[in-house]
Parts: sequence; C-alpha cells; structure tokens
Amino acid sequence: MSLVDASLAAGYTLGDFLLVAAAGFAVLAVGMLYRAVVGPTMQDRVLAVNVLGTNTVVILAILGAALGEPTFLDIALVYALLNFLMAIAISKFTVERGGVL
Amino acid sequence: MTGSLASAGPLGAPVVAQVTAIEASLFAFVVLTALFTALARDVLAAVIIFGAYSLGMAALYTFYRAPDVAMTEAAISAGVTTVLLLLTLAKTTRLDHEAAFESVNLPAAGAAGLLFAGLMLTMGDIPAVGSADAPIWSNPDVTQWYIAETYAETHVENTVMAVLAAFRGFDTFGEAVVVFAAGIAALIVLHREVFA
Amino acid sequence: MSGTDAGVDDADTETAGSEFASGGGFGRDRPPRSDGRLDSERRQGTPYTESQVIMPTVKIVTPFAFTYGLFVTFHGGGSPGGGFQGGAIVAAVVFMIAFAFGIEATRQWLANTVVVALAVGGTLVFAGIGLVPVALGGAFLQYELLPIPDPVKYGMEGVEILGIGTIVAGVLIGLFFVLAKGFSEAGGFADADAFDDEVGDDPGTEEGDEPDGDDAADGSPEGDSVDPTDGGTTGPNAPGPAATDGGER
Repeated sequence: MSLVDASLAAGYTLGDFLLVAAAGFAVLAVGMLYRAVVGPTMQDRVLAVNVLGTNTVVILAILGAALGEPTFLDIALVYALLNFLMAIAISKFTVERGGVL
Repeated sequence: MTGSLASAGPLGAPVVAQVTAIEASLFAFVVLTALFTALARDVLAAVIIFGAYSLGMAALYTFYRAPDVAMTEAAISAGVTTVLLLLTLAKTTRLDHEAAFESVNLPAAGAAGLLFAGLMLTMGDIPAVGSADAPIWSNPDVTQWYIAETYAETHVENTVMAVLAAFRGFDTFGEAVVVFAAGIAALIVLHREVFA
Repeated sequence: MSGTDAGVDDADTETAGSEFASGGGFGRDRPPRSDGRLDSERRQGTPYTESQVIMPTVKIVTPFAFTYGLFVTFHGGGSPGGGFQGGAIVAAVVFMIAFAFGIEATRQWLANTVVVALAVGGTLVFAGIGLVPVALGGAFLQYELLPIPDPVKYGMEGVEILGIGTIVAGVLIGLFFVLAKGFSEAGGFADADAFDDEVGDDPGTEEGDEPDGDDAADGSPEGDSVDPTDGGTTGPNAPGPAATDGGER
C-alpha cells in the first residue's frame, strides 16, 4: 500500500484523505437517516435505507483503500448484493401488507 | 479513547483527529438508529430503521478491523433479520398509529436511565481502544501466539476461522447444534412437523 | 405500484375501487378504506401481478449472489467469511427468489426434504468429522488424525463448508418457510393468505398436484413437495390471525 502511504501535502498521506472522505460519507449517512425516520410514507423509508446501503458500500470500499485491507471489499460486496434483498422485501411487503408474498 | 487511538492507528500522529471524525460520525449514526428503532411507533418503520442500524454497525466493525464480524453482521442483518421480521409482521397485524414516535414511559425511562448511569460508572475501568493496558496486550504470550502460529499449525490464513474451527472446535460444534436446535424449536413453537 | 396492482380488465367502478385501495396507502391522510381490505371480495378479485422490475432483476442478481455465497463459504480460510456467513448469504439468495417469485412456488421448488437434509446433514457431518479422530484413538475434532492429506486445513474446511454452512443455510431457509406459513390455532397447516395467486404464474412450479380445500390436516407428516393448503380456501372467512389490514403507508 505504498500509494496509500504516499505523502500528498503537509505530511498527510492519501490514506488520511480517504479516511476523511469516509468520515464525510458517514456524516451524510446521519443526514439520510432523517428521511428513514421521518419519511411520511414507507416508500420514503425504503428509498432512504437503500441509499444508506449504497452509502455503506462506499464507506466500506474507502475504508478498505485507506486502511490497506483489500479484503474489506468482500464485506462491501455482501452489502451490495444483500441490500437489494432488503429493498425488495420491504417494497413487496408494502403491497397489500405482505399478502402478495 | 482519543489519545490511545493514535498508537493504534498505523498511519501516524496526524490520523488522530480524522480517526475520531469517522468514529464519531459512525457512533452518532449507530446511536441514533438504535434510539429511533426503540422510539418508532410504527413497527415496520422500526424494522426499516433497524436495517439502517446494521449498516452502521458493519462499517464500525470494519473500521476496527474485524472483517469477519462485519461480514456476519452484513449477511445476517441485511439478508436474514429484516426478512424474517417482515414475514412476522406480514403474519400478524400491524396497527395504524397517528403518532410517529412512541410516547416515553417516564418510570421505565427513569429505570433504564439509572441502569445506564450505573453501567457508565464502570466505563472508567475499561481500557481504551488500542490501549497497551488492554487485556489483549497485557498477556501477549497468549493472544499473539494465535496470530504468529496459526498458519504453521493449521495452514489457514484466516486466524478467526482457525480459532473457530480448530482451536475452539468443540465450542463451534455446540454453536452449530444450537443453530440446529433453533430450527427445531421454531417448528415446535409453531406446531409444525415440516419446514413447509 | 397502483398501476400493477389494479387489474387490467376491470370495469370502471372496479378500477376506481382498486385505485382507491392501493393508492390509499401512500399518504398519511388517506380516507378510510373499508372496501379495499385484503379480505374483502373485491380485493380478492384483483390479484397483484408480479413486478416487472423485481423478477428480472432477481434473475440477474441471484446467480452472482449465490456464487458469492459459495465463495465466502469455500474461501473462509483465506479471507473474511466462513461457513456461517456463506450459509447466511446462500439462504438470503433463497429469500430473494422467494420474494420475487412467490413463497409458495419457492416452497415447492425447494422441498422440505432438501431443507431438512441440509440442516440434519450438516450436523451429522460436523459430528462425524469430529468423531473420526475419536475412532482412531484421538480426541474429538483432532484434525491431525484424519486420514486425508493436509488434515488440519481440509478438516477445518470440511467442517466449515459441509458442517456449519449447510446447517446455517438449511435452518435459515427452514425458519423462513415456517414463518411464511404463519401460525394457526388449529396447530396444523391452516393458512389464511392468498398464496395461490402467484403459484400458477411461476415457470418452476408443478401445477395441479395439490389437493384442494384441505386446510385442516392437523399434524399431517406429509409435505415433501405437496402442500395441502395451496389450492383454494382463501376466502374471506378463512381462519388464522393473518392480515386483515388492507392498505399500507
């Protein structure tokens, strides 16, 4: 991970900037949580959770790059594949309150 | 916690502020989701927010370099728990509520607050994350042995799996039987004889 | 969603009623929906048609997710993961298929025999791998005594893949099916939900082998691939505690 450890500016490495970016995405997640909590309809909440899942995939990928652990991408893949399941489960549940399952 | 993380981070001293930034935001996210899961009046909303909670927890586990735990959290929470809770909701009745949030029961909140305060009193004795005083560092003969010798002993790179399946294999056998027994128990509780 | 929800060939009044029923779920200030409830006859008359978005997407995603679950299971020795996580992902793939194509269709495709064989077989394999060294004079799960090359590594892999992975996958799929069936006071296979809407439309189901109208088979030991409650008997007065609340919000 020499690229991550390379100093970019003022002694900060690329990994540091990636960590800052991950922290920014985590702050954004708190913002998205507003829609998941308040969202007047369930569709708002489903969309919010779906966006949160994508956001988490991004956070995990950035963490994997920043910390020099490529295996973190495996977890990001799990979320990328299974977040879809959460979305379709909730959205099909909202049709006739699960009677169509 | 802030100071000790500097020694834990592999990236040097300037990391401290940023490490706490991502940790603080993830902690805020996790605590908020847990709080709103408890407070949500609508059960379906609580299930959805609980799904969001698992996302934050997985990111937090990943940041603490516990990818096995994070993957378990991801697979179980995103894939299984939400679906099973939704199915349970589909099989029961969900009442319509006008209020978005549960009204707080003050005596219960007081009791929970007292318990929380009592637990927080013990926090001073818990070593900080990455601290050299933590038990995992204070007896390195045990903890570091697994990291150093796992591959030579088991020819497996993943220490967690080696500990689970080889060094603590009997415990894992018990856990597997517990999972199996959970399926049987579900059948018994629901008065079924087949998984269908 | 209201467009796919309402039947295509409905009369005008029927369409208005269905629109009212399905569209009423999207606002907080919806009017009372006494005629749009799930148990009313009109609601039974306009079945939900399968989503044209979910089904093709699941068809695309499922092979990758299943392969990835197997990867996590088989590659647990070299990367994060293992039998538990991989088994959960494989079970989640089955959930995905069930949500897209209907739980009853999936139940017939993945028979009870398979689920039970996964759970029981995994437990037996784990115990067997543990007991082989005992038979050879060692301790329980003493991998060095296994009569295979590189016994510790492949013994662990065998436990993870054939033992834990199959147990977790089987039990989770079984829990899913059991929960999807619901609980009935009669203690049998009675079910109150309109599952049969989706059964006929799935290409992977065998049709016509279910006896109709036999939903009080209490404790019947059958059920490998034939479920006695699939046909018929989902009228408005069907027993059971399930859904009597129509719309969503």
